[in-house]
Amino acid sequence: MTEKRSLKTRKGTITFPAYVPVTTFGSRYPLDNLIRPYLPRLAKAVMVSFFYAKQMGNQAPPRIPMWIDSGGYASLFANAKVSEMDGLGMIEFETAGQTQISHPSDVLAFQEQFADVAFTLDFPIPPGTDKDEAQKRQRLTIANALWAIKNRRRRDLPLYACIQGWDGESARECVQAYKGMGFDGLAIGGLVPRSGDRKQIQEIVETVRGEEESLPLHVFGLGNPETVDFLHSLGVDSVDSSSYVKMAADGRTWLCPEDKIADPSPTERMSLALSNLAYVAQQRLPLSASRLLFSGRVG
Amino acid sequence: MLSPPQQTIIDSGLLSTGFNCVLQMPTGSGKTWLAEYAIRETMDTGHRCIYLTPLRALADELTGRWNQSLAPFPVGVFTGDYGKADKPYPVTYETARLLVMTPELLDSCTRNWRQHWNWIPEVDLLVVDEIHLLGDSNRGARLEGTLSRFRRLNPFARIVGLSATLGNRDELAEWLDGIEFVSDWRPVPLTWRSVRFRKAMQKPELLVEEVNSCVQGGGKALVFVQSRRRAEELAKMLKERGFRSGYHHAGLNQMTRKRIENDFRGAGLDVLVATSTFEMGLNMPVRKVILYDMQRFTGTDYEPLPVVNVWQRAGRAGRPGLDEQGEVVMFFPSWVKVPKGYEEGKFEPVISPLRNMSFMAEQIVAEVSSGMAKTRNQLQEVFRTSLAARQGNLPTVDKVLGQMIDAGMILEVSDEEGKTRLKATKLGRAACRHMLCPASVLLIKSVSDKDMTFFDLLLVAVSAVDCTPVLLVNFEELGDLSALLSREKSYLLKEGLDVAAAVLSVKGKRLLSSVKMALVLRAWTRTGDTDVVADSLSCGSFEVQSLVESAERLLLAMREVFSSGDEQEERDPVSPGIVEKAAALEKMISTGLDDSAATLTLIDGVGPKFARRLLDIGICDIEDLASASLEDRAGLYGVSDRRKADWIQQAEELVKEKSAYYFVDNGPGITSEGTQWDASIDIYRFRRSLDLHVETVSAKEYRVTGGLDPHQVVVEGGVIRCDCPDAAQGNTCKHQLAVRLERGGDAELAKLRQLMEGETGNQGVNLGDLWISADRRFIL
Repeated sequence: MTEKRSLKTRKGTITFPAYVPVTTFGSRYPLDNLIRPYLPRLAKAVMVSFFYAKQMGNQAPPRIPMWIDSGGYASLFANAKVSEMDGLGMIEFETAGQTQISHPSDVLAFQEQFADVAFTLDFPIPPGTDKDEAQKRQRLTIANALWAIKNRRRRDLPLYACIQGWDGESARECVQAYKGMGFDGLAIGGLVPRSGDRKQIQEIVETVRGEEESLPLHVFGLGNPETVDFLHSLGVDSVDSSSYVKMAADGRTWLCPEDKIADPSPTERMSLALSNLAYVAQQRLPLSASRLLFSGRVG
Repeated sequence: MLSPPQQTIIDSGLLSTGFNCVLQMPTGSGKTWLAEYAIRETMDTGHRCIYLTPLRALADELTGRWNQSLAPFPVGVFTGDYGKADKPYPVTYETARLLVMTPELLDSCTRNWRQHWNWIPEVDLLVVDEIHLLGDSNRGARLEGTLSRFRRLNPFARIVGLSATLGNRDELAEWLDGIEFVSDWRPVPLTWRSVRFRKAMQKPELLVEEVNSCVQGGGKALVFVQSRRRAEELAKMLKERGFRSGYHHAGLNQMTRKRIENDFRGAGLDVLVATSTFEMGLNMPVRKVILYDMQRFTGTDYEPLPVVNVWQRAGRAGRPGLDEQGEVVMFFPSWVKVPKGYEEGKFEPVISPLRNMSFMAEQIVAEVSSGMAKTRNQLQEVFRTSLAARQGNLPTVDKVLGQMIDAGMILEVSDEEGKTRLKATKLGRAACRHMLCPASVLLIKSVSDKDMTFFDLLLVAVSAVDCTPVLLVNFEELGDLSALLSREKSYLLKEGLDVAAAVLSVKGKRLLSSVKMALVLRAWTRTGDTDVVADSLSCGSFEVQSLVESAERLLLAMREVFSSGDEQEERDPVSPGIVEKAAALEKMISTGLDDSAATLTLIDGVGPKFARRLLDIGICDIEDLASASLEDRAGLYGVSDRRKADWIQQAEELVKEKSAYYFVDNGPGITSEGTQWDASIDIYRFRRSLDLHVETVSAKEYRVTGGLDPHQVVVEGGVIRCDCPDAAQGNTCKHQLAVRLERGGDAELAKLRQLMEGETGNQGVNLGDLWISADRRFIL
């Protein structure tokens, strides 16, 4: 069943399941600039967070569909807070005495300009959040999603509604609110801090999939190969993650998880990242993989 | 219809396995077709391909062909002939789906990979034609560095190496982590034969017989010889004997070479006498290949022709569809045993030239400067996987790195985390960017605080190890060179040749060559005509052109290195500083401008190209421009009136401070001295006699070896006779002189030998003495 779902974008149709690697623009993660041109060989789409997508400048966008999330995770930063205006949720950032606002309209306008797949502005609810705050975040997440689907102008831009909850029942509330509203997919957020609790992940995902059987289902941020297989088995169509590159930056690879390359060069990091991605996406490994693995470099 | 090896490769899917591979197949058995097949398959998947070929002419030929056969995919050619302001690449890097390149161009791309990151990751196939070039003493180390960097930059690209002659195919395939394939199938089988001669003077007549039997039977013959002079002489001799013959060597300009190649392909020529330049690449099958010289000069000695070279040449024999078999004829002296390895094709292995420390140093600087290795460990890892390391020949990385740090090419710095990082200095970056050996950049740096004339700067450029081709100096030229030299200004030569030799780090014949090469370049700036320069300075116009290209690259680096000094140059309105001089000289060399025309480039907006256009309408310097009339301006098409007016206004301002003679050298003149020696002894032959080996056969008979061919010298009744063609013409040949020296008791010769082997002791510039005392082992 899962294999049959697909998503039509202006850069072509994405068939599921799909592992969507995360990349960034700008100068903070130079390794991403090395890796990005190779992503079309190994992935069907690429995920860029709103914050880094804004730093794209004159750089060419990837040839494969670019998914741009809402940057809602930033609401967890120490200098950020979620506030409400006219029934919609937004993030206020305090930087050097100045307040910056990320409003659903800013996010959607940018996504309509650059994205091939977009996600509504959501507010993650980490474990331990007090009930009032958790409910407020969920309410505003739903309000933002419903606002976005009503205000979407580009009809060829698939829009995923984001789900934030703390258990299966709270996630169900989101799904029910989105039913029949015209979304192109659902995306579950807030699972990264719960990654150690596989049972709860299963409960949330199964509840969502049980409520909505036909739309593509995405899970944010969980990219470990074992977890990916687990999520696919629960009916998840796609995941995005930067773990393939984070491991590589540290000289590690999923091909030999116990070992590590000491002092990897920039191109070795790139090769490790691409090997990791090829492995988890079940694509052809780069030719360099055997050299890295069998030349005594990994150990 | 596919050939058997082609069929095997296609059926086995060897080119589609996703692995690197090395294919060894004879010349003419369809390697290029296989490359095209793989390229087409790859481009159909949406990826790009690179085809590396060592020859510019072949790159052009293949690009033309593939632009037709691979349409609509854009095919771009990337060689040193393009990429200039007046001759851009016909197709840009970004547009080309197939990039036909020389190894040097790809090398440059890997060193500056950030500028090429919009296409390098899209490459999925890199075909390396003539992959045995990895062992070439001049180009091999750079090719190895290029492949190493490219593989790291693009971990998906497959490498397909092609060659007809590999002695260690399996080792190369292992180095590439790939697989190998070999076939000895030829479309036309070869027959091998030896022609024996007792005396060297018999060779021309034997050649006539071989050529005659081929041409009479409707075939064409290709004769390989080891020197340009011999190619010209034999072609002339064959012509006089009624054959339609021509010659082909590196001294000819591109147009002439092309014409000769076309004549030989068509009906114009039946016999071509060629040097090794004809060995690679061009597909020009003939019925018979004659290997007239089976030895080559290495720069220090003669050695038997390697099997690889013999087969590269022999591979041209046999025209598919026209000849039942191709003939290979080798000329050997009767007393020499014919080595079996030639006919059996026992090729020499490709040995990595990275074993040479100076090549290794260049690669270390390239790795650090390009940002591909940032620590000692990373550098160690790069070279641990090199071909040289696999062959157990790699110099110690730390040792060479230490030398580069001491030389100021690389720095060790601490990063924010306190880790030690390697960083290229400005000098190192200049070496990397201009693809120069560190030694060349250090030579340039060493003169940056000296007074230098244009001629001095040229002497520095042409003395760099990266300057090619090195022009040889014949004894007969010394008079003309001395006369030309006396017109130049030079601080370097003011103190004498010994001092100049120390500054330039060249001596003996190489110093003489530097003088000649600098004179050639100076003549080019004054005439802008390669043919005129070639005629007046006894070299080929193609050599002049190559030398100009080489000097341009070195002068660009020179300008950059001079500019990287700690102190900014103070602008002197009366005479230019060394940075400005180097910049002006680079412009003069790039377009053949003279000193006064170079003043035009002082105008903002006037580069070498516009300066040349101003010259064409009679505006020869800034003073002419400042006083340009309306009529003068009208001749400058395509430049707006506003721009012309701006140039003129600038010129008017400039001439208040600077004259048209601003760039004219005002250094010390060079006085040239003559040398006295016994006129009865031909110094040229005597010089060569010192390189010969004399073997006493009997009291009267000697065998003299070490020259082109061995010769017998007989002494009877005080008369010395030799069997060489030179002696046959009544000259006292070098073999006779060698025997006279060997026998001893000849005071005149002994004195001359002393002079040759000793120091000149002269303070002035005496090219004759330099020639005589030159290092005996230098290439003649």
